[in-house]
Amino acid sequence: MSSSGTIVMPGERISAIEEVAKSKRVILGPGLRRLDDTVVASKAGPLRHKEPNTFWVDNYQRRYVPARGDLVLGIVKAKAGDQYRVDIGSADLASISYLSFEAATKKNRPDLNPGDLIYARVLVASADVEPELVCVNSNGKRGKLGQLADGFFFKCSLNLGRVLLRENCPALAALTRRLPYEIAVGVNGRIWLKAHSLRETIALTNAILALEQAGYAEIDKVCDNLEDFLQA
Amino acid sequence: MFMNSNLFEPGKSKQEKQFIQLAVKQNQRFDGRRSNECRDVELTFGSDWGTVAVSLNDTKVLAQVTCDMGAPTTSRPYEGKLQLNVSIGGVAFLDEMQSTYDQRFLTLNSQLERTFRSSRCLDLESLCVAAEKHVWCIRVDINVLNHDGNLYDASTIATLAALMHFRRPDVTYANDELRIYTEKERELIPLLFLHYPVSVTYCIYKSNPQPLVDPTLLEENAADSVIVLSFNSYQELCTLNAGGTVPTNVRTIMQCARYAATRCKAIVEFIRKTLALDEERRLQGTGPSQGLLALLGENKHKLSFKQLMEGYQKQDSPTLQDSQMEVDAAQTSEKPNVAEVPVKEEQPIKQETGKLVQDAKPMDTSTWLPQEATNDQELPTPSRVVSLKVGKGKNRAKNKANKKQQQLAKKQNHSDSEEEVTQVI
Repeated sequence: MSSSGTIVMPGERISAIEEVAKSKRVILGPGLRRLDDTVVASKAGPLRHKEPNTFWVDNYQRRYVPARGDLVLGIVKAKAGDQYRVDIGSADLASISYLSFEAATKKNRPDLNPGDLIYARVLVASADVEPELVCVNSNGKRGKLGQLADGFFFKCSLNLGRVLLRENCPALAALTRRLPYEIAVGVNGRIWLKAHSLRETIALTNAILALEQAGYAEIDKVCDNLEDFLQA
Repeated sequence: MFMNSNLFEPGKSKQEKQFIQLAVKQNQRFDGRRSNECRDVELTFGSDWGTVAVSLNDTKVLAQVTCDMGAPTTSRPYEGKLQLNVSIGGVAFLDEMQSTYDQRFLTLNSQLERTFRSSRCLDLESLCVAAEKHVWCIRVDINVLNHDGNLYDASTIATLAALMHFRRPDVTYANDELRIYTEKERELIPLLFLHYPVSVTYCIYKSNPQPLVDPTLLEENAADSVIVLSFNSYQELCTLNAGGTVPTNVRTIMQCARYAATRCKAIVEFIRKTLALDEERRLQGTGPSQGLLALLGENKHKLSFKQLMEGYQKQDSPTLQDSQMEVDAAQTSEKPNVAEVPVKEEQPIKQETGKLVQDAKPMDTSTWLPQEATNDQELPTPSRVVSLKVGKGKNRAKNKANKKQQQLAKKQNHSDSEEEVTQVI
C-alpha cells in the first residue's frame, strides 16, 4: 500500500486514476465515485492506492455507515417483540432476532437487557431498511461473537478502529508484549477492553486513544512509548 | 431527534458507568489525577477588550463581552443591565435539541445567571448614565467550543475573566445629549465589581464517599450527583447547586465547600495576575493580534494556572490539609474551635473591603460555617436543587445564629437538624 498522501476534496476530479483506468480495470473504494467517464472524490482526505489497481480516500469520520459483513459493537437499547434493538452508531438502530444467538430456540431465549454490550456481525445493510445483526456464523456457532461482560468500553474514530484491525498493525502486538488483555474492536469506532486489573485497563485505554493522533507512519513511534502509559 | 442522540457522548452506557464506579472505588482516575486535583486552567486574552478563551485541558470556552446603550427596565431605573448568553452549538456530539433544551444546559445557564446576576457581582448602578433613560447594557457571550466535562467552572472562569478584562468607553450626558467618547479621545473604563465569584464542581458517586473535583465528561456523565459551589474571593458562598441521586452527607458538602472556597480565591488571584501580565503586554505594544485559531493553538499567549500559581499552591496545601483534618476532628469532638479559624482569616479582608461587602449583602461566613458543620447527619437531596442566594443571607444568618445556640444547648438531636434541613431547602 502506498501512502501517496495527496489530499483530495469532495467534488475534485482525479485524473491520475483515469490515466490508470485507460490501461487496466481499477477498483474504486470508499470516498471515490465514477461519473460517466470521470472519477470524482466524494469525501475529503488523503488518496490511498494499493497495488495493483485499488484506490480509496482515507477520510476521518466518526459516523458509522453499516456495510454487510462488518463486525460491530452495539449496545442493546430495547426489546421489541422477538427482536432486540441495538445501537451500533449508525443513523438507525439495528435489530437482532432472539434466534440469531448460539443455541437459541423459541423457548430458550438469550438473556440480554437494555444497556448490555454485544459483538455482532452485520447481516443486512441497506440504505432503505434498518440494519440487521447476527451473533452466529452460518454453522450456528457463536465464535467470538456474543455478549461482552465487564471490562471497559469506549468510542473512537472509525479510522482508529480500522487501523487496529489491519492484519499487520503493530499496535496491539506491541501492547500484548507488555500485558495480557482481551480486546474487541468494532469497525463502527467502538472498542471493548478488559485486562487483569482496573489500572491496566485504564493504561491500555489511554494508550489506544493516543494512537488516534498518530498517522500511519507514526504508529511505530507511539507504540515504542506505550510503556509510558503503562507506568503512568 | 434520533432515539440514539447521545451516541457519541462518553459515559452514557452501562458498561462505562460500572467501570467508572469501580475506578472511583479504587481512587483511580483516567488522567491519573488524585480525587482533589484540578486540571490546569489556561487563559488566553484576545486583542479586543473582554475576549477571553479558557481551557481546562480539552474543555474550551470562549467568552466575549460587549456593551451598548439601552433603556433600563422600569422596575430598576438606576441600574445597568447584565445579560448572559450561553451557546453550546460548537459541541459536535450534541444535536440541536440537546444543545437547546437539554437539562444540563439549562442548568448551566441558570448556574451562570445565579452566580453573576443574582449575586450582584457587578456594580450595576455605576453603569447608569441618565436615570430612566440611558444605561449601559453589558452582554456576555459564552461560547462553548469543546466539552470535556466541567462546563460550569470553565464558563464561570471565562465569564469572570472576560468581565474583569473588559473596558467600556467613557460617556457624558448633558442637555439631553449623549456623547460616547472613542478610545482616542478618552481612556476606556473598566467595570466596577462588588465581589468576584467563581465556581468549583464536584462529582459524587455511590461507591466512594470521597468526591471528585473538576470531573471530565466521562466522570460527569457516570456520576450519581454533581455539586456546584460558587464562592467569591472573600470566600463567601454565592451559589450551591446539588442535584442527583446520592444521599449527600453534610460533612461531604462542608468538606467540598472548604476546599472550594480556597480554590476560588486562588483562581481569582490567578485571573488578577493574568490581567496584570496582559496589561504589561499591551503596554509594550506587541499586543496579540491573532485570530481565534491562534488563540486556542499552542502559543506564548497562554497563561497557565499551574505555572503562575506554583508558589501559591505550595503555600496553600498545608493549610488545606489542616482544615480537612479539622473537619474530621470536628466530627468526633464537639468542634467549638473550628469556627474560629476561618473567621479570623476573614476579618482583615473584610475591613479593607468593608463597604463593598455591605453592598453585596453577603452571607456571614462566621455564622453559616460552624452551624452546618455541627450537622453530621445524612442529608438526602434526591434530584433536588438547593440554592442559597447571597441576597437573602442576612435574615437567614440571624435565624441561624439563634438556632445555633438552641442546638448547642440541646446537643443537636436528630429532629432538630431535620428542621434545619427543611429550612435551607
